[in-house]
Amino acid sequence: MTTDTASRRIAGNDGAGNDGAGSDRTGSDGAARHARRHALADLLSRWSFLMPSMLVLTVMLAYPIFYTLEISFSSFDLASFSADQWVGWDNYREVMGDYRFWESLKVTLIYLAIALPLQVALGFGIAFLINAEWWGRGILRALFIIPMVVAPVVAGGMWRMILDPLWGIANYWLGLVGLGPLDWFGDANLAMAAVIIIDTWRWTPFIVLIATAALLALPKDVFEAAKIDGANWWSTLWSVAVPLLVPVIAATFVIRWLGAVKMFDIVLAATYGGPGKATNVINLFIYEEAFRSLRFAESAAMAVIVLILTMVLTGIFLRGSRKLEELF
Amino acid sequence: MSVPATSSAPGSAFWHRMRILAAIIVSLFFLFPIYWMVLTSFKQQVEIFTNPPTFFFTPTLATYKEYIARADIVRRLVNTVIVATGSGLLSIVVGTMAGYALARIRLRGAGTIGLLILLSRGVPPIALAVPMFLVARKFGLTDKHITLILAYSTFLIPYVMWLMRSFFLSLPKELEESAMIDGCSRYGAFFKIILPISLPGLLSTLIFSMILAWEELLFALVLTNRHASTIPVAIAGIAGDTVNGANWGALTAVGTITVVPVVIFALLVQKWLIKGLADGATKG
Repeated sequence: MTTDTASRRIAGNDGAGNDGAGSDRTGSDGAARHARRHALADLLSRWSFLMPSMLVLTVMLAYPIFYTLEISFSSFDLASFSADQWVGWDNYREVMGDYRFWESLKVTLIYLAIALPLQVALGFGIAFLINAEWWGRGILRALFIIPMVVAPVVAGGMWRMILDPLWGIANYWLGLVGLGPLDWFGDANLAMAAVIIIDTWRWTPFIVLIATAALLALPKDVFEAAKIDGANWWSTLWSVAVPLLVPVIAATFVIRWLGAVKMFDIVLAATYGGPGKATNVINLFIYEEAFRSLRFAESAAMAVIVLILTMVLTGIFLRGSRKLEELF
Repeated sequence: MSVPATSSAPGSAFWHRMRILAAIIVSLFFLFPIYWMVLTSFKQQVEIFTNPPTFFFTPTLATYKEYIARADIVRRLVNTVIVATGSGLLSIVVGTMAGYALARIRLRGAGTIGLLILLSRGVPPIALAVPMFLVARKFGLTDKHITLILAYSTFLIPYVMWLMRSFFLSLPKELEESAMIDGCSRYGAFFKIILPISLPGLLSTLIFSMILAWEELLFALVLTNRHASTIPVAIAGIAGDTVNGANWGALTAVGTITVVPVVIFALLVQKWLIKGLADGATKG
């Protein structure tokens, strides 16, 4: 809101200065034309900043989404590789009646429900824990960038090797403490646990970094006041720091949510949806249906359902996150 | 630079030492897998499959030599560099301009457009992959670098736009105001005044965009097959190659090649990167 008035002021100054100069030289008719042309040029220059991105995103984002909609209501002709006849809700009915679709939605929900709270809690917990003042703090913070710049597909493959039941070093160590060897990729629950471990390994450092920045940004006088009032470390943490951090925690949750609904690479490299369909997240399922089974119409219908579900939930989360709502 | 919430821990000196110890243990957990991958990539095939696992051995480049030649890794590496650079540059130019428009220029309906673009960050790529593949096939645009570059811009432009928007909002308005009163055009103010002081923010956003493009798998899998195929596709192939058993030599060697340049890059600009990440999460 404040920026709007500021830019209006800039535009006003800009316009007034040039119009004044124009009317000195020409008659009143020419001045009006000049002003109109100037207003148009100004409008164009203002929109020219936003136009390129709108163009690219319309072509690459809006068009594919509408095309997905069209395919989802059509039968698909594999000979011409395009949408054929309008079939109404047929594809949706078929998808809704497919138990595999519901299974993969369930798998995705389990992953989201465990991974997201775990990562946010771990991230903020570790940030609190390790934020002691010592010479190595800066180095650690720098090193914490590394897991998140490791490509997810590399992370999946790398952990598959580490968790391997026969030769993996994790199982060797678990064996030393009497736990194992565990058949991480042969057991449905363990495979899901493995996927969550890999995802958590990749993303928790990101949350630690954000939490650290948020901790550093907290107002110090509040803590001094709490100290003077005789509050101990725990009550300071729970009744002063955590409430102040709630907006950042909510924002972090939304950011992770936006990333996690795209879950694909890690499962592809680590489990390929298995064993059975135990880790077959919805994105992998749609991918398989489209590009292996060539069921484009059905997968388009699934994509539309997932798109709507994601948008609705994202909207709800954005609404719940006050920090992000300030933007609108 | 004390953090009051945490530096006044119970019992100070002892707890302080315990927390440093905890910090080291936690970072070992997060760094060990990468260390292990790099280490394994220098092992001979027989040393990879030993129980207990070996930490000390004579390093060899055998795996690198074998797979760089065989798996077409160099071409895929070049493709990945082209696509990451192309989409990073496209998105930074286009997204920065849009971010500036949303932060500073009064436009009717811009708020709605901004909100739509923010929401687009939630679009699951799989919903785009199916139609993109069909359209690219129809126009003969599959397996081309430009197709991937444009596909990546769907998630990079919104990212750059919102990050740069919050960055521009944090700059004092007086900067352009005075420049424009002095007769600078809107573009003049943007290029001469705003961009130079935004360079650190621009650089970290560009690098993070390039990293996101570097590691993308789904679009690359769907839109390319030979000519423009990228490194993540190769790794997915090696990781999923269960016919030949676990090919960990190839996996660790190609994985290391993929990770090391990005890590070096990220560590060089880590200060800006962390700030950009934190701003991105807390402001956009």
